[in-house]
Amino acid sequence: MNETLEIGAPGIDAGAIVDEIRATVERKRAEGAYADPRVARAEKSNLTNLQNDDDFFDFYMSCLRQAFVVDINDFAIVERRARLGKPLVVLKTLIWKLLKFYTYRLWTQQNQINGLLLSALESAEQKNRQRIKSLETRLAHLESEQH
Amino acid sequence: MGRAEHIAFVVPRLADGSVVGGAETLLRNLAERARANGRKVTILTTCATSHYTWANELEPGRRQVGDLEVEFFPVDGDRDLEVFLSVQNRISAGVRVSREDEQAWLRNNVNSRALCSHLAEAGEQYDVIVTGPYLFGLIYHAAQVHPHKTLLVPCLHDEPFALLTAFKDMFAAVKGCLFNTEPERRLAERLYGPPAAHQVISVVGMGLDDFSVDAGAFAARHRITGPYLLYSGRREPLKGTPILVDYLEAFRARNAVDLKLVMTGSGDIPIPPDLAPHVIDVGFVSETEKFEAMAGALAFCHPSVNESLGIVLLEAWLAGTPGIVHAHGEVLRFQCERSNGGLWFKTYPEFEEALQLLLSSPETRRALGQAGRAYVLREYAWEAVEERMLEALDAAVGGVGG
Repeated sequence: MNETLEIGAPGIDAGAIVDEIRATVERKRAEGAYADPRVARAEKSNLTNLQNDDDFFDFYMSCLRQAFVVDINDFAIVERRARLGKPLVVLKTLIWKLLKFYTYRLWTQQNQINGLLLSALESAEQKNRQRIKSLETRLAHLESEQH
Repeated sequence: MGRAEHIAFVVPRLADGSVVGGAETLLRNLAERARANGRKVTILTTCATSHYTWANELEPGRRQVGDLEVEFFPVDGDRDLEVFLSVQNRISAGVRVSREDEQAWLRNNVNSRALCSHLAEAGEQYDVIVTGPYLFGLIYHAAQVHPHKTLLVPCLHDEPFALLTAFKDMFAAVKGCLFNTEPERRLAERLYGPPAAHQVISVVGMGLDDFSVDAGAFAARHRITGPYLLYSGRREPLKGTPILVDYLEAFRARNAVDLKLVMTGSGDIPIPPDLAPHVIDVGFVSETEKFEAMAGALAFCHPSVNESLGIVLLEAWLAGTPGIVHAHGEVLRFQCERSNGGLWFKTYPEFEEALQLLLSSPETRRALGQAGRAYVLREYAWEAVEERMLEALDAAVGGVGG
């Protein structure tokens, strides 16, 4: 699914390669290539490393927007036990088909909660950002007055 | 400048066989090089082998281990784990604790009163005492005994513990520090201020011996037919291994590539059941097998942001394999930038693109690996490291300041 990144320059310059990787990521991000709940899930352990990084926070929020809907689509049902494996898969598939309908109510409610939480988080973040920006402006103004 | 004839190396555990840790390996190697240079070397360590339990599993007493004279001392058995963990959790969470709490944390950390008593009674026989890493009660207390002749090998990380006042005092009191890399030295200066004029400050690192292995041997032995990433070392959140697992899961789900993850070393981290067949955990392996695993890997991935040297990354470079490191890991990124031997990522998309590049361009992979290898052979040859270390040891005997 990924278009391959090409390195044009001869020789090896790791910094230049990373710059090219970042440019490719930016372009693909704008095209929506990473608007993927799997990417949001992958970043969960990385949050602590980047909690003070504004760009990452924006990116993570955009990932969350893709990830807040619970996935109740059909999925591959497998059975690791060799004995009675096939009949168990058939049984589990049947149970899933019969009960799937009853998950819809829970699914709707969970999606609503997730959506509300995400909106609240976005709004709090925006508010904080504005507050910090206005404080920084005031601070800069006060400092310039003192000098 | 004087000459350090008798050197004591104080370490929490002796790196031997399955007891491996970056700092322990580093200090043992430095001790062996000093010994090979004709200096008298004594290693003072504890009877513990596990860094989880710190149980006294070895017999106390003096004996020969390889070429080294080693004296083992019991770990104190009266530590109050409840107090230790309560303060530790607060420090980890970024809470500033009082001096009393710092001391309570250090007192109930891993300590050996027997070892410190030996230093107090017999310390005069040593010209220099080399000790580290910084994050142990044992090292903190050992450094208090003869600070004027103690050189710290701190293996310092940018972490909440490094902010403790007790460590700031320790760095100011000792004779000097042997850092592993320039970013580590800069970190110490940022945290504790510039060193005093009399202190010996040197960036020494650790030398590595070149090796040659069969790049296909590991994959053949473990029946791995496709590309694999390698991680070697402790698996724990501080080392960034959960990121690696999460990223591999996303990579496999988003790309039609049967990429595996091979792990050597110890520690348990949760692996999602669907991913489990693609994570090959070989546990502790011999150095040769580790090097073979490195040589055959697509890349050596080191997502830790808390390293002071990154020995395994250097070894992977010697094997001709490029590294992939976290952009916020200052030391590992510095090594990649200086060597052109690896790439760094800040987010999953950058990680994915880096892997795609290495998969699609074997010549880029090879060129990065070779650049890393040339860097290690140049900067981490034992001759160069030994010269830097001996110069610092001799300077500590009296050549610098006083």
